[in-house]
Amino acid sequence: MKYQELFPIPIEWILDADRSMAQTVSSWAEQEVKSKRLEHKEDYDVLLLPAMRKLFVEIGLQALVLPEDIGGGGMNSPDVAMTATVLLEQVGAADPGIGFLFANTLALQYALAVASEADESLLNETAPSFCGEQVTLCSLVVPGYGFETRKHPTYYGLDFPARASMANGGWVVSGGPARPQCCGATAGLFGVVCDIGNGEPGILLVPGQVKGLARGERFKKTGLTASINADLKFNDVELPERALIARGSEAVRSVLSWYYMACAAVCAGALQSSHEILREWGDTRVIKGKGQVFKENPLVASLMGEIGGKTGTARLLTYNLARMLSRPIIYGSAGSGSLHVQAMSTLKQVCHLSMEALHGTMELMASAGYATEWNLERYWRDVKTLQTYATPETVAQTCMARQYFNLQKL
Amino acid sequence: MRTIDDFTTPVEYLTPLDRYLKRMARDWAETAVIPHRRSFDEDWESHNLIEPAFDKLMGEMGFQRFFFPEEFGGFGMGHSGYAGVGGFRVCEEVSRADSGMGVAFAVLHWPLLMICKKPHVNRRLCEEFAPMFCNTTKAVFAANAMTEPQGGSDIENLDLLKGATIQTTAILDGDEWVINGHKLWPTNSGGVSKLFGVVCTTKAGSSDPNDFAFIFVPANTYGCTQGKPYQKAGMASDKNGDIWFENVRVPVWYRAHGPGEDFKYFKEMVSWGNMLSVAFCTGAMLNAYELLSDFCTRTSFRGKPLKENDDIAGVLADVARDIEVTRIVGYQAARMLDRPDLYGDSWSDEIVTKCRAYKYFACDKAIEVLENAMNIMGPHGSDRVEDIEKHWRDVKIIQLWLGGKQLGQMEVARWYYDCKTL
Repeated sequence: MKYQELFPIPIEWILDADRSMAQTVSSWAEQEVKSKRLEHKEDYDVLLLPAMRKLFVEIGLQALVLPEDIGGGGMNSPDVAMTATVLLEQVGAADPGIGFLFANTLALQYALAVASEADESLLNETAPSFCGEQVTLCSLVVPGYGFETRKHPTYYGLDFPARASMANGGWVVSGGPARPQCCGATAGLFGVVCDIGNGEPGILLVPGQVKGLARGERFKKTGLTASINADLKFNDVELPERALIARGSEAVRSVLSWYYMACAAVCAGALQSSHEILREWGDTRVIKGKGQVFKENPLVASLMGEIGGKTGTARLLTYNLARMLSRPIIYGSAGSGSLHVQAMSTLKQVCHLSMEALHGTMELMASAGYATEWNLERYWRDVKTLQTYATPETVAQTCMARQYFNLQKL
Repeated sequence: MRTIDDFTTPVEYLTPLDRYLKRMARDWAETAVIPHRRSFDEDWESHNLIEPAFDKLMGEMGFQRFFFPEEFGGFGMGHSGYAGVGGFRVCEEVSRADSGMGVAFAVLHWPLLMICKKPHVNRRLCEEFAPMFCNTTKAVFAANAMTEPQGGSDIENLDLLKGATIQTTAILDGDEWVINGHKLWPTNSGGVSKLFGVVCTTKAGSSDPNDFAFIFVPANTYGCTQGKPYQKAGMASDKNGDIWFENVRVPVWYRAHGPGEDFKYFKEMVSWGNMLSVAFCTGAMLNAYELLSDFCTRTSFRGKPLKENDDIAGVLADVARDIEVTRIVGYQAARMLDRPDLYGDSWSDEIVTKCRAYKYFACDKAIEVLENAMNIMGPHGSDRVEDIEKHWRDVKIIQLWLGGKQLGQMEVARWYYDCKTL
């Protein structure tokens, strides 16, 4: 039975063109990543680079959202939410780390090319980075915990990664150390959520090579190998006025809503692969010395049922969110309080469901689930890492409570 | 300022040596492991960094002599009424630094339990193997060779299968056992062990406990080969690989006890494995508390330290509660194994079952605590610098081993609800 039949989503939302692109990406996943995982397990970093180049440059995912007249894929409308979700699911199934990079690129390009604030000259300026021959990685840099308790404007209690002020007709950005969502060591472009004055949030596009941007040491993390991360410092980074790609709370929230959708799609992809792995295990394993096929044991089956249910629900929630973001005419702006919180809530739920499903799968596969050889543990580590980056638990809860229960002070 | 020593310990259960065991193990952890553990993942195959720390703990400090009788150079804990709580304490302290080391350290004692623990001390085998462990300042590992490729947790499923699925055979040939079989994934395999306790059958397919055999095989015996260690999600300090036995010959008296008795005391070993698994979990949880406490003090949210926010504090409270409760459970399990006069034999179905229940409870709680800690810390939770993520990766395997949670659930249901067919 096909995956879509097992875990259905409303197929009327998906275009033939989306399916065709998904097939291309799925072939890429099989040929460039999945089929090489075992032979390259000792050298996964090196394996990823050519695979990423094929995906981002040759297949063209990094230019997908940019207008056609500047060399992009021409999908610079909210409709691309559904297309991107279909593709991100396939990329996430291959490698959630690469999916996470694409999620960051998508969010940043949404601000550049889809949202109304986009500046044409900035778009033209950045197009060669995405439409040329090199891979250009992007990262959001979002508010996070502070390391000091002095009073300054916060983003709903979180510290801004940097502050930006106008001087001589441009922006001067200072702050850090700040932890980017991904690729702090290698990204070519950062979308930095700054305090642009009196606590007003804005996203500034910061080129990776700009003077005054200092990258810290690369650090290791639980998963998401494709993202080589390092903290950033902004030492009076000078940027042109047009570098502000999102201004105000609603604009920033809309970027984050798209980002949450993209991250949820990556998790859905990870679940697709873990389902394949468990399915093979359940079909072939024999237990209790009585020739009982693993999946036919009632206790195993009950846990498999839970895992299947969570996989299907996570997928459905993800596509539902993509649909809402692709139809602002029906559901309103991606930056509205309600849709933003819906996006955050969806990602939080999808992360929880994904982790529960992956934990359960690992329990059923025991040591094989834990061994690198069976490939499952990679997804378990990757999704957990994504969860810690994209949705710090208590922060998300407060945001949701603020919207759902009309909090006034938090 | 609260510390991990403010978590409750049932003081009336503890060995008189407790404060010394704790101090020694903690000092070792602080100096030999914690400053270096972030590099252990890359050391999973060579153990260049990990081995010196083991040498210090097991060889120089002598903890590998824990169970052996004093007359053979051991600490004599196998004869004391405190091996359980003493072992729990040491394993918890070791696991606070690195639960992979806790597992490897504990499992070295596992086969030795069969011959060093009263009331079933096999003095001849103690005398035979004690020099290997007691006359050296280098770490010496032993392993239980149990799991087989085709059976997974079947071997630990003693109540149901009674060894019927074991395919490693031991055939008596004169005054020697001839052993043939393939074992997969034992802790301390992958080339590190000097001695194996091999679970085998004297009659393939038999479910008669008399045919279950536990036979010692020195790793350098002709016909015994080990594969390379497997790469895993974590737990770099514990190597797991394949072991093949091809016409391996050992003296007849290398069998731990004999028909029926091997089966019985192997069940005791399962009880101990489960009890010590709780210690691995609580060790990791105690360190998670320390790391979380530090992080939530030095970082801010809403303009004040993280821990001073009510919503964060609520989660922190749950973490502390879970550590308190799990630790009490672990010490209770250890006490039950130390006092068979009060609680029954450690190999009884009742004790085996209860230790299973404690183990899978502790594993669930440990995962929950570490997930909560990572979720609170956000991007820093998956950053190796903060050490939490290492515990999270390491602890997961504790939940999976010894048959995993599902086997635990079956055994618990079978005993508490008198199930007949599970």
